[in-house]
Amino acid sequence: MNARETILQALRTNRPSPEQYPLPPVATLGDLDAGRERFITSLKILGGDVLEPQNGETLDAAIARRFPDAKNVCSAVPETNGTMRAETLKTPQDAKDVDIAVVRAAFGIAETGSIFLSEAQLPLNSLAHLAQHIVVLLSPDEITANMHTAYQKRPEFRSAKYGVLMSGPSATADIQGVLIRGAQGVRTLSVWFG
Amino acid sequence: MSNRPVNHARAAERFLEDAPHLKFHDERLWDMRQKRDEQMHMLPEWQELRAEASRIKEHTLSRLPEYLEQFEENAKKNGIHVHWARDGAEHNRIVGEILKDHNARSLIKSKSMVTEECDMRPYLEKRGVTVTETDLGERIQQLDDQLPSHIVVPAVHKLTSDVARIFAKDYKTDPGIRDPHLLAEAQRQAARPVILHADAGMTGANFVVAETGTFVVCTNEGNADLSATVPNLHIATIGIERLVPRMADLGVFIRLLSRSALGSPITQYTSHFRGPQKGGEMHVVLVDNGRSARLGMSDFWTSLKCIRCGACMNTCPVYRRSGGLSYGAVYSGPIGAIIDPTFNERKYSTLPYASTLNGSCTNVCPVKINIHEQLYKWRRVLVQHHEMPFVKREIMHMAGKLMGQPKLYRAAISTTETSLSTLPRFALYNWLNPWGKHRENPHPVKQTFHSWYKANRTNKTSKSGGTQ
Repeated sequence: MNARETILQALRTNRPSPEQYPLPPVATLGDLDAGRERFITSLKILGGDVLEPQNGETLDAAIARRFPDAKNVCSAVPETNGTMRAETLKTPQDAKDVDIAVVRAAFGIAETGSIFLSEAQLPLNSLAHLAQHIVVLLSPDEITANMHTAYQKRPEFRSAKYGVLMSGPSATADIQGVLIRGAQGVRTLSVWFG
Repeated sequence: MSNRPVNHARAAERFLEDAPHLKFHDERLWDMRQKRDEQMHMLPEWQELRAEASRIKEHTLSRLPEYLEQFEENAKKNGIHVHWARDGAEHNRIVGEILKDHNARSLIKSKSMVTEECDMRPYLEKRGVTVTETDLGERIQQLDDQLPSHIVVPAVHKLTSDVARIFAKDYKTDPGIRDPHLLAEAQRQAARPVILHADAGMTGANFVVAETGTFVVCTNEGNADLSATVPNLHIATIGIERLVPRMADLGVFIRLLSRSALGSPITQYTSHFRGPQKGGEMHVVLVDNGRSARLGMSDFWTSLKCIRCGACMNTCPVYRRSGGLSYGAVYSGPIGAIIDPTFNERKYSTLPYASTLNGSCTNVCPVKINIHEQLYKWRRVLVQHHEMPFVKREIMHMAGKLMGQPKLYRAAISTTETSLSTLPRFALYNWLNPWGKHRENPHPVKQTFHSWYKANRTNKTSKSGGTQ
């Protein structure tokens, strides 16, 4: 018998009686507030920021103000062109010099301040991780309440080949328990509503 | 590999001698436990989530062959290559062959306990593949040639100065650095070129969804997503017990995982893989390595519900004061002590004793594994299988005889009470009894309960008996 058959056969022999363990119905528990305020509070707990337009400034102006030293601003959204278009990146490694990636999230989750990105939003998956910073456009209408509603209602989980929920920037506490925001992925994550 | 029983007590003793490390370790893990409690108190539905998670896992395990087949079918449909490995050796061989087929000489990987089980790194390195751990804690452990001491925070037993010493050797940083930010930055700078030039990337998986053929990786540093999206070849090593039936089930588990582990509402990255990226190739290796046999152990199969959050380790007074390395096994802490003996009953026969049976592990477990009861049951099994140290066995044997005979027991007890005040401390504090270490004798009593009862109560009882 090959490995597959050996394993499956052992599991069939050894498992507890399936009748005793019925599948519980899908649960929707907890706070169902899908509001922007809850999203922002959660985002900040995970170390994310909100990029607020000052005096009606444009997205470009806000990015320039927030990241004055950025040289390569790589845009995957029509709202700005940055200094380069994401579509021009050919291989995953091409994103290595990107200072700021500008992308649009498919949706956000109020409970955790998470934003969802997939290959539908990212011409190159690595862009979201090799960039030093990420600016995420999010429509307030696309916020879902919590993890239950997200997995039950958002179709993206079933269509994307790669789908990532980013909840604030990368972080680590592996050295003596000190929390460091900006570990190996993006150093900061800013959400621009619109 | 040596088959000799791990001497957990002696290793713990060495850990206890190092006051600064002990203090930090104990406080850091307790802090994680307290942060977990804060998260729990914020969710009135917490107990309902635990019950739901437990039920979903029990159901899945009872139908594991069907769900594995469903996952395989869906994953293949989405272009994932699915492999099956009976044990660690087979897993390593499969990974080695995939890498060879692609002429891959460098592999970057995120943290995966299953690859630790399989002892994969030395296997691949012997075959000319450079394996680089990209998780900071795991990388520290790799450079220091140690196993992870905790399943979530692998280098939690180290202080900043230890990391500075290790990085100075390999990354040529200043050994005097005491700012963790500088060390984390050194890791980022050292890892980037390796990531950019890697031929292949590897991740584990926290959850696997049967109905969609998805696997999910929960991490914080961004290294797993870099490992999966920068090289065009992605291999995921997955334990066969990671399955859940439905996408919707993830809602329950993602809500519990990081809250239980670190006390954060969610990991910074929750990444869903359902097929290779454009121009890429994706392989999944489903690993048994003892799991199918464990499913048949009526007292222990529910340990397969474990989602590897580490909450039982953070709360355990023995773990906090002995450190993960003292368990001498891939899995440490309470969950390790009930899983490890299934890999090697003799070698890990001492681990179920590394517990006070206080039950805290069971109380914090997000999937409701009765960990402390399983620890107790393992002790029974080990005694039945004679996997018990000679001294402990003989003492238990004597105690059994004594307690089985009331007269002999009472005679012994009254002697003990006299001896406690008169005999030298040697009676209790000798090599036969490691329990006596770090503990003081109780104050001897003047009279045993039985002799007091005899002197005071016998007459009264018979008198009151007479009035009836």
